[in-house]
Amino acid sequence: MAEYVQLVRRALQQIRGHGGITGSFWQFLRSADLKTGTLVGIDKYGNKYFEDKRYFFGRHRWVEYTIEMNGKYTYWDVDGSMVPPEWHRWLHSMTEEPPSTHPPTTHKYIWQNHKFNLSATPGQYVPYSTTRKKIEAWVPPAPSKN
Amino acid sequence: MLLFPAVRRALTSATKNNVRATSTAASNLLEVFVDGKPVMVEPGTTVLQACEKVGVQIPRFCYHERLSVAGNCRMCLVEIEKAPKPVAACAMPVMKGWNILTNSEKSRKAREGVMEFLLANHPLDCPICDQGGECDLQDQSMMFGSDRSRFTEGKRAVEDKNIGPLVKTIMTRCIQCTRCIRFASEVAGVDDLGTTGRGNEMQVGTYIEKMFMSELSGNVIDLCPVGALTSKPYAFTARPWETRKTESVDVLDALGSNIVVSTRGGEVMRILPKMHEDINEEWISDKTRFAYDGLKRQRLTQPMIKDDNGYLVEASWEDVLTKVAGVLQSVQGNDVAAIAGGLVDAEALVALKDLLNRLNSDNLCTEEVFPNSGAGTDLRSNYLLNSRIGGVEEADVLLLIGTNPRYEAPLFNARIRKSWLHNDLQVAVVGSPVDLTYTFDHLGDSPQIIKDLSTGKHPFSKVLNQAKKPMIVLGSSALQRKDGAAIHAAVSTLAQNARSSSGVSENWKVLNILHRVASQVAALDLGYKPGVDAIRKNPPKVLFLLGADAGCITRQDLPKGSFIIYQGHHGDAGAPMADVIFPGAAYTEKSATYVNTEGRAQKTYVAVSPPGMAREDWKIIRALSELAGVTLPYDTIDAVRSRLHEVSPNLVRYDDVEEANYFKQAAELSQLANQQLLADPLVPPQLSIKDFYMTDPITRASQTMAKCVKAVTEGAQAIEEPSIC
Repeated sequence: MAEYVQLVRRALQQIRGHGGITGSFWQFLRSADLKTGTLVGIDKYGNKYFEDKRYFFGRHRWVEYTIEMNGKYTYWDVDGSMVPPEWHRWLHSMTEEPPSTHPPTTHKYIWQNHKFNLSATPGQYVPYSTTRKKIEAWVPPAPSKN
Repeated sequence: MLLFPAVRRALTSATKNNVRATSTAASNLLEVFVDGKPVMVEPGTTVLQACEKVGVQIPRFCYHERLSVAGNCRMCLVEIEKAPKPVAACAMPVMKGWNILTNSEKSRKAREGVMEFLLANHPLDCPICDQGGECDLQDQSMMFGSDRSRFTEGKRAVEDKNIGPLVKTIMTRCIQCTRCIRFASEVAGVDDLGTTGRGNEMQVGTYIEKMFMSELSGNVIDLCPVGALTSKPYAFTARPWETRKTESVDVLDALGSNIVVSTRGGEVMRILPKMHEDINEEWISDKTRFAYDGLKRQRLTQPMIKDDNGYLVEASWEDVLTKVAGVLQSVQGNDVAAIAGGLVDAEALVALKDLLNRLNSDNLCTEEVFPNSGAGTDLRSNYLLNSRIGGVEEADVLLLIGTNPRYEAPLFNARIRKSWLHNDLQVAVVGSPVDLTYTFDHLGDSPQIIKDLSTGKHPFSKVLNQAKKPMIVLGSSALQRKDGAAIHAAVSTLAQNARSSSGVSENWKVLNILHRVASQVAALDLGYKPGVDAIRKNPPKVLFLLGADAGCITRQDLPKGSFIIYQGHHGDAGAPMADVIFPGAAYTEKSATYVNTEGRAQKTYVAVSPPGMAREDWKIIRALSELAGVTLPYDTIDAVRSRLHEVSPNLVRYDDVEEANYFKQAAELSQLANQQLLADPLVPPQLSIKDFYMTDPITRASQTMAKCVKAVTEGAQAIEEPSIC
């Protein structure tokens, strides 16, 4: 009986943690989860990083994406690449120390700002052939001045 | 019944009386035995030919049917029963009762020994050799060579020679069969190649470093049994087993040489000759063989339309066709005209003619001029090479007027040379004295000489009158002059005189016209007007250029605001001045009918698909007609051909020459041409070999041909070649 009480209490705690019924409703729609945990840090874009060791390893660290990033509305349209590299290592348990307490060494060749993935947009990368063309088309000359 | 070429040929050949051919009575035949099998052969037949007759192939390297017998490779050694030594089959005439043992122990051992000697100095570079897969040495060493080597010494090496931008030499591979030397001196008529040194030091070369300057030079590549002479443009590009072969017809001169187009992955890799005894035997000219890279450059691949700033921009077929259809609908009758160029096929010609006729216009011209006075183009005999290409071998006197067949029709010239060499053909030339590779009487270059010949004032007229089978060939370039009609009239009178004095039968034709472009005969058969004079006199508002790239008509000849449509496959002279461009297909990309200068209709086949949005020419015109509201009544190529059959049945009797006649009437009618001969000398436009290579849009786009022009003007060293292998 006691574990059921515990369960209900945790559910209520989670709902409260996300701002009541309405907040939890939107939170669930957005991330399909209602986990709560300690806020480890916030990166410069506004993504929030949480940890709760009570969850199974691999589910114990998670990110709550920011709503607006580099001018793009990211409430629904989130992308894994929005996590900056220094937080990526912590999030994937490559390290125990979060960059909020152990800031990474900076290099000039590291991207300063995030770029969104351009696939399926007009700006996407299209591979081109580097082999010789089989047929060279005629290029019309510029019109003569008469 | 006469629709079927085979039946017609059988009927006509039965009646043909060939005075020059020798016939042997059956009683003169000898009986010899090949591996015990009896066979009757004519006296003088070689052992090799006798074996061929029963279907036994003797291995050979130096022997070639069309060249003289050299007998120096020794590969064809066979044993004759009761003879002390094996004999060289290619050089030994058979004697009565011989039993030739082609597969005896002694024959096989002789071959194996010869092969061992040949391979002793042959490099083992088959994996990087361009002849790999079509190498006689490779094949015959597999068939007749030893299965092991006794070779321990070092191999001889020979320095490579630079003999021009077409033929690559790797002389270490040479086995000294001397086929190339015999070809150059016998068929091509240039004694450039020869051997130096003896024994192990023997080398084939040009004595001094120079170019092998012949219009038939590419044929030595096919003749070479090993990889010593290979094609430079084709080097390291493909293997014979990778390519797809399509038998087709060449259109770069008016002879219609038969060719095989080798393609791989939608790209023409090379062009080889295909045997046709009546046209090209087994040779092709260098232009035919090497101009294929012109098919890949300067191509029209997208429909284009002129924008407001005068730039030609790419457009869709819908846009250009509706635009042109609208223009065609807004003009009436003679305001629309068409000019057909030199590479156009009969299907496109008939479709365009039908389209314009439906628009009430009959202004359809060809770029090549042909005199229209007298009988003009109404009688086919006026504009054909009536005695045919092979007819040269029967003729005994040949008069060339205003033509340089060596460059206008190289294989016709090779035929003349063959006849000059073997049949004592007497050749005379009226026109510029050019090097024709055989000796001829130069009668002068004034057109007045033609008149003198027919009136008997000229000393040569005696020779002509005594000829048994005279032949007179008039070059089409002479007819481009202002006095073309007068020249044609004078020549047809001369031909008529020569005929009556020779007393030759009606089957023998004397008058011949040698054309320079492939489309001309088909266009004239279909009723196109030769020459653009009609368009110049009566400038149309809409002009349709069908592959017209000679630049006969420019914007200045047309009223302001006139609309020009260009349909063709290359951006050359015609495309830049057009308002709308329809990309068409080149001769390797369509199944099309071409009629050669003899009047022989031949079909090309699709070897590769047209590039980009380009389409077959008759299909474009058919689509246009539908949008213009005058739909042409054919949807398939067969329907177009049945329309061709309606207009002129000879156009679809493939590989058959339709006889033309009425020479007498044509000569009489030509007297109506009230024109005086001019005093200007008769100068054919192609005088030396540098004029030969670039004559049409395809060859002008070809880099190989450009290299050839550079090499013959500045020397073979002027061409920079990548130094691989």
